[in-house]
Formats: sequence, C-alpha cells, structure tokens
Amino acid sequence: MNLRLFLQTLRWNRVRLVAVVLASIGWGMLIPVVYVNFAAAFKQLADSGAFPKELMNFGSGSLFTLPGALTLGLQHPLAIAFVGIFAIGSTVGSIAGEREAGTLEVLLARPISRRTLYLTLAAASATLVAIVLLALLGGQVIGMAIQGVTREIDLGLMPLVFVNGLMLWFAFAAFGLAASVSFDRHGPAIGLTMAYLLVNYFLEILGSLWRDVAWSQQYSLFHHFNPGKILTGTADLVDFVVLAVAIVIPVAYALIVFPRRDLAAPA
Amino acid sequence: MDPEPTNAPQAVIATEGLTKHYGSVQALVDLTLDVNAGEIFGFLGPNGAGKSTMIRTLLGFLHPTRGSATVLGLDVVADSVEIRRRTGYLPGGIALYDSLSGADALEYLAALQDRGAAMREELCERLQMPASVLRRKVRDYSRGMRQKIGVIQALQHDPELAILDEPTEGLDPLMQHAFYALMDDQRAKGRTTFFSSHVLSEVERICDRVAIIRSGHLMTLQNVDDLLARRKRRVELRWRGVAPDLAGVPGLGDVQVDGNRMRATLLGDVSGFVRAIASPSLEDLTIEPARLEEAFLEYYADDEASEEVRG
Repeated sequence: MNLRLFLQTLRWNRVRLVAVVLASIGWGMLIPVVYVNFAAAFKQLADSGAFPKELMNFGSGSLFTLPGALTLGLQHPLAIAFVGIFAIGSTVGSIAGEREAGTLEVLLARPISRRTLYLTLAAASATLVAIVLLALLGGQVIGMAIQGVTREIDLGLMPLVFVNGLMLWFAFAAFGLAASVSFDRHGPAIGLTMAYLLVNYFLEILGSLWRDVAWSQQYSLFHHFNPGKILTGTADLVDFVVLAVAIVIPVAYALIVFPRRDLAAPA
Repeated sequence: MDPEPTNAPQAVIATEGLTKHYGSVQALVDLTLDVNAGEIFGFLGPNGAGKSTMIRTLLGFLHPTRGSATVLGLDVVADSVEIRRRTGYLPGGIALYDSLSGADALEYLAALQDRGAAMREELCERLQMPASVLRRKVRDYSRGMRQKIGVIQALQHDPELAILDEPTEGLDPLMQHAFYALMDDQRAKGRTTFFSSHVLSEVERICDRVAIIRSGHLMTLQNVDDLLARRKRRVELRWRGVAPDLAGVPGLGDVQVDGNRMRATLLGDVSGFVRAIASPSLEDLTIEPARLEEAFLEYYADDEASEEVRG
C-alpha cells in the first residue's frame, strides 16, 4: 500500500465525508426515536389487519423490535445512499474516472505498481465506508441512549454489526473497483456497479414484501447483513462466509486483470 | 542526483523487434533501436504513427505483443516500477488534478516519485512559474501553464532518463526556447532524453539522433547532422554577363536557368560549388540550409500524414 496515495485519496473525499458523516449520525439517531414513538402504533395497525404486515417489514428489518428497527435503518435507501457515495461513487471513479480524465497515466508514471494502486484504493474505500458505518451505528447508539432503550439490546454486539456491515459494503466497493479497472470510461463502470447493487436490493426487498418469492432474499447480499439477528444473539456464520466470498471474487479478479490490462492513451 | 556511471548501460533504451498490435491494427512493427546514455533522441512521426504506443510500452502501460525492450538496463515488463522510479515522463496532452494548486500537484507527484524534487525550484524559475502562479488551482491554468507544470513534474526529481511526449505543445516561443536551453543543460549533465515530436524544427535544434517512424515501422535512425548532410540544399544565383561554368560540379541537380538567374539543388559539400561559381560576374548567391523537414517529407512523400508536419 502507498501511504501518500492513501492519505491523498482520503483528503480528496474529506468535504463530502464530513457532510455524509453528519447526515449519517442524524439518520442513525432518528431510528430509535421512530421505534420508541411509533412501534406500538405500527404493531397495533398490523395486528388489526388494516395494513398488510409484510409492508411493516423492509428487507430484513421491521418496526416492531429495536433490533429490527436498527436493521431497517441500515437497509433504508437513505442509509444505502450515504454509504454508497463512498462504496460505489468513489471506488468506480478511482480508476476508470482517472483514466477518462487522463490523470491515471500521470499517477502510474510514478513507481507504483498497479497492484499497489489497487490495494491502496481498496484500503481507502474500506476506510471511508467504515467511517460512514461508524457514524450510522454511532448515531443509532446515541439515539438509543437519548430514548433510554439501550438495555433492550446487547451493545457489546455492536462491533459485530459493524464488521457485518463493513463486509457487505466492502463487497460492493470491491465490485465497483473491479468494474473500475475493467473499463476505460466512468459510465459503463458505474452503470454495471449500480445494476449489481440494485439487483441485490430488489431481490431482498421483493422477498420481504412477497412471501411467495422469499427465496430470492438468499441471493441478495443485503440479506446477509442482518443486525437484527446479531443483536438477538442468532448471528449466522453463513452470512459472513457469503459476504467474504463476495469480497474475495472481485478482489482476485481485479488483482489478476488490472496488471495485465493495456492502458492505451486516453481519448 | 547523479546518474550511476559505474554500472550504467551504454544503451539507456534498447528495443529488439518490439511489436504491438491492437487487434488487427499494427501499432508497432519489429522496432529495433538503441538510445545512448547522455543523448537527446528525437522520435519523429505524424499523429498515429506509433510514437505514443512506443512510449507507453517503454513505461509498462502497454504490453508488447512480441519482441523485448529494456530501459536503463531493466526489462519493461518485469521491472516497470523500477524503471518509472528512475524516469521522468511527460504524457502528450497532460491532464493534471484540477482541484489541486500547481504547487500541491508538484508536491504530490514528487512525494509519489519518492526521489525528492531537487530541480523543482530551478525549473519553476526557468519556465517562469513563480510562487504566485503555483498557488493557483490547476483548473485556472492556461494550456501553456499546464504544459509547464507537466515539464516540471517530469524533471523535478532529476531523473536519469526523461521521456517527453511532445513537450513544447502549447508553449509560447519564449518558453520553447527556455525549454530548448533546459534540454541542452540536461545533455551537458549527462542525462538522457527521449523526445517525441512532430515539430521538426525543434528536433533539428536539440536532438543528437533521430528515428523516423511511419505506421509503426522504423523508417530511419540517424544522427541529425548526418541526416541533414544528406539532404539537398536549394541554391540560387544571379550573375551579370557570362554565365558561370557549372559543368562537373559534384552534387548539383535539378538545374533551372531563367535568363541570368539559376535555381538548382545541391547535395553534399558546398565548397566545390562555391569554387566553381567564384567569378567577378556573380551578382548574388543564396544557399538555403538543409532542413530536417525535407528528410521527413521524403519518408512520408506518399503519405497523407505529411500534411501533419509543421516546420
């Protein structure tokens, strides 16, 4: 890893990182507030049959329990947007974007191997994703403390939730980086990565809302990020293994393909 | 930082049958050449001839289809990182990080180079990039300023070999001359420069040897002086009264006589010609110097690419 490149990559992201961290803390704090103030009302509504119970679930989360609400908060499109800015936006632009802008050859004119470049950018992406996840989880802990519901979960399990979340989002970041090393232009790389993210999300949400196709959730990476299960002490090792495989495959692909690619002159 | 004279190879760049294909397109074909230590080597060709492909292969951006190449005695495929540590590179039409100031861009690139920036101050002074300009963001720079930053980043760590792809593109005439003087100094210090261009006048001005490439093929590789010596000069003379006797003047050809005026071409030594025309009746004499452009056009005479050539 190249420390100078790593630090510069973080520096280039610092303004939006600060904005996203603040927004993530705010969003994280809001979830316990919603749970404390509306969970009983939602439960009543669901039990009355006036509202389909499935619609109270969202992905692997629900509004009826604190672990479920925390899961819902982390799988909500807003949380995905916050983390996705770095897990996808920054990673995809890191090589294909520099290539398109013409700055990649200035960078690669330095004594940096392509594998070092890739690993440095991967480390920077993981760091940025970790910071945003910490902000989301930190916001949730602050919100729980304010609402006085911290006793409903084992806070000691939060680090495992963090690891599970980091693995999920680094799987997407690794896919984004693999797409980034494969294309000379930013457009196709971001398109492919967004499609990968949306298909995963669609499979998870579809299965949670329509029980007949609940099997589809197994094929979504989002399904293997389940803070609810971790916080209730029923974490499944398989979830971690699936996410590890989803990380290893694109990383191995990029480490093999990128050094062998011809980098023709930018158009 | 001084070059390493004890173990330094004589050929700083050596290619042997270097070939690069992009699918069915042959960008480089069996290119064999040597660039010697301490020389300024001109690599000439119109756009699309394969100049950038050659440079990018030397730096490890492209992988050769066939053949081999070494830079500073190191293999371009296996030792590309070490080659880039000891080399300075200016890409054609350089792109820089727009959000950085000129000073920050230079500092960042020097830090990644890991060899310091011993020459930065001198280069900034010679290329007229004062601190007030370097403080501005790169996005606010003109094309010429970006090019100057490009030249500085390529040379600031005092590399043993500089590979410069069309380095004077966008520079005004004053800065072009500053750059030529810089190249002369680099040569005096024993540094090697591989210089790609299609501006013939500057190649003629600063290069020791020149290779001409066309559609990926090496057309010729010669000393610039030798190349010029083999070019025909244009001569024109005017006289009063009796025409001088030019029969038997070696190298004279394409003679056109119009009254008391004669135009011709002259190949080789001019002294025999001057002796032959020496006469009280001679009124005027013009001998145009041989230009590299003539040599270049000869190799491209049947190629539309010759339209790209600038004097």
